[in-house]
Amino acid sequence: MPLISNLDVWVNIALIKQYHENLSANKAQELVLGYLTRYSLENISNKRNPALTNRERFCAMLLRAVMVRDSIVVIDRPFTIIPDVQDDRFIYDSLKSIDDSFKECHIFDYLWSKERYRTIDV
Amino acid sequence: MINAIIRIGTTTINVTKTFRDTFSFAFTIILKMFNKNSYNSATRQVLIHQIYFTSIQTLPLFIGISIVFGTLLMGIVLQIIKNLGLAEHLGRIIMDLVVTELAPFVTVLLIALRSSSAINAEIAVMKVNKELNTLDKFNIDAVDYLFLPRVINGVISVVLLSAFFSIMVLTSGLLFSKLLFGLSLESYSNVLLSSANFYDIVISLIKCCTFGFFITLIPIRFGLHATNDLTSIPISVLNGMVDVFIAIIFIEVLSLILIFI
Repeated sequence: MPLISNLDVWVNIALIKQYHENLSANKAQELVLGYLTRYSLENISNKRNPALTNRERFCAMLLRAVMVRDSIVVIDRPFTIIPDVQDDRFIYDSLKSIDDSFKECHIFDYLWSKERYRTIDV
Repeated sequence: MINAIIRIGTTTINVTKTFRDTFSFAFTIILKMFNKNSYNSATRQVLIHQIYFTSIQTLPLFIGISIVFGTLLMGIVLQIIKNLGLAEHLGRIIMDLVVTELAPFVTVLLIALRSSSAINAEIAVMKVNKELNTLDKFNIDAVDYLFLPRVINGVISVVLLSAFFSIMVLTSGLLFSKLLFGLSLESYSNVLLSSANFYDIVISLIKCCTFGFFITLIPIRFGLHATNDLTSIPISVLNGMVDVFIAIIFIEVLSLILIFI
């Protein structure tokens, strides 16, 4: 699910809280900045989708997913979003930084990408 | 002969379908407009941004056009009034021409050129990029979040900018009425106020609202017609803008009929 290209990153992430929980724009922005700080990506807050690197886009999409209450994160073929990443270390670290914000996470990928994952339960 | 009948029939069916789809979409938007659940922090934020893009960003251009066009037009109209010896109808002619007819028409043309085309392209790009699917996946109603704020902005912007255009042109009218008729500010104001007709102002307001509603609704509808192909974006904008122009003429003619009956 692509980020909405005519919205800043923080609006893309905050949208779910603003729409479903009627969170004010200021509070939603604060919340998003808090999350972006965990990735040291505060600088992308006012950028738009085309201006992001693959890793920044992945983090923004991940943060948007965890904005859903009691979210179960499903990542479909993550290496199509971050083709420059060789193994799952970056994905694992990204998830670890926000593991208090989602209930479960499932990653789906092709069998031939199995070697890129280090975790046991692949 | 049969081919001609088939062509007429096909055109009639297509036009009827377009009308039916537009009014059905308009009905959905109106229902959402009066439903308080449609409004939340996200939709309010979009509405504020849209008003900024349509009414505030365009203000320098709009002021320039109002001054140049309004001053020239008022100069010519007042000169004609003087030449024809219609000075006693001065207020009525200015109010009918400027407030009821000219201001909404010039405003809607400017907003249609600038914002309707932008809205049409924006929605078409979102459709092509599957960004509308993203909203759907997060259970965000595109009508509430994308369409409703744009339509409300259209209505508010046309009403406000039309009123602003009237004020600018009436102010330049003061200059020419002083030069040509020797009217003071007080006399000019009295002439205008005594000529202001409540019915005409209501018609003008309804016309502005209708203009604003349809010049944003039609581009949205055509933006949604875009397919997954990038080349469908210019086609969607082209068709949308043609229909916006037809809608403007249609509403203008309807309002003229209403005023003259």
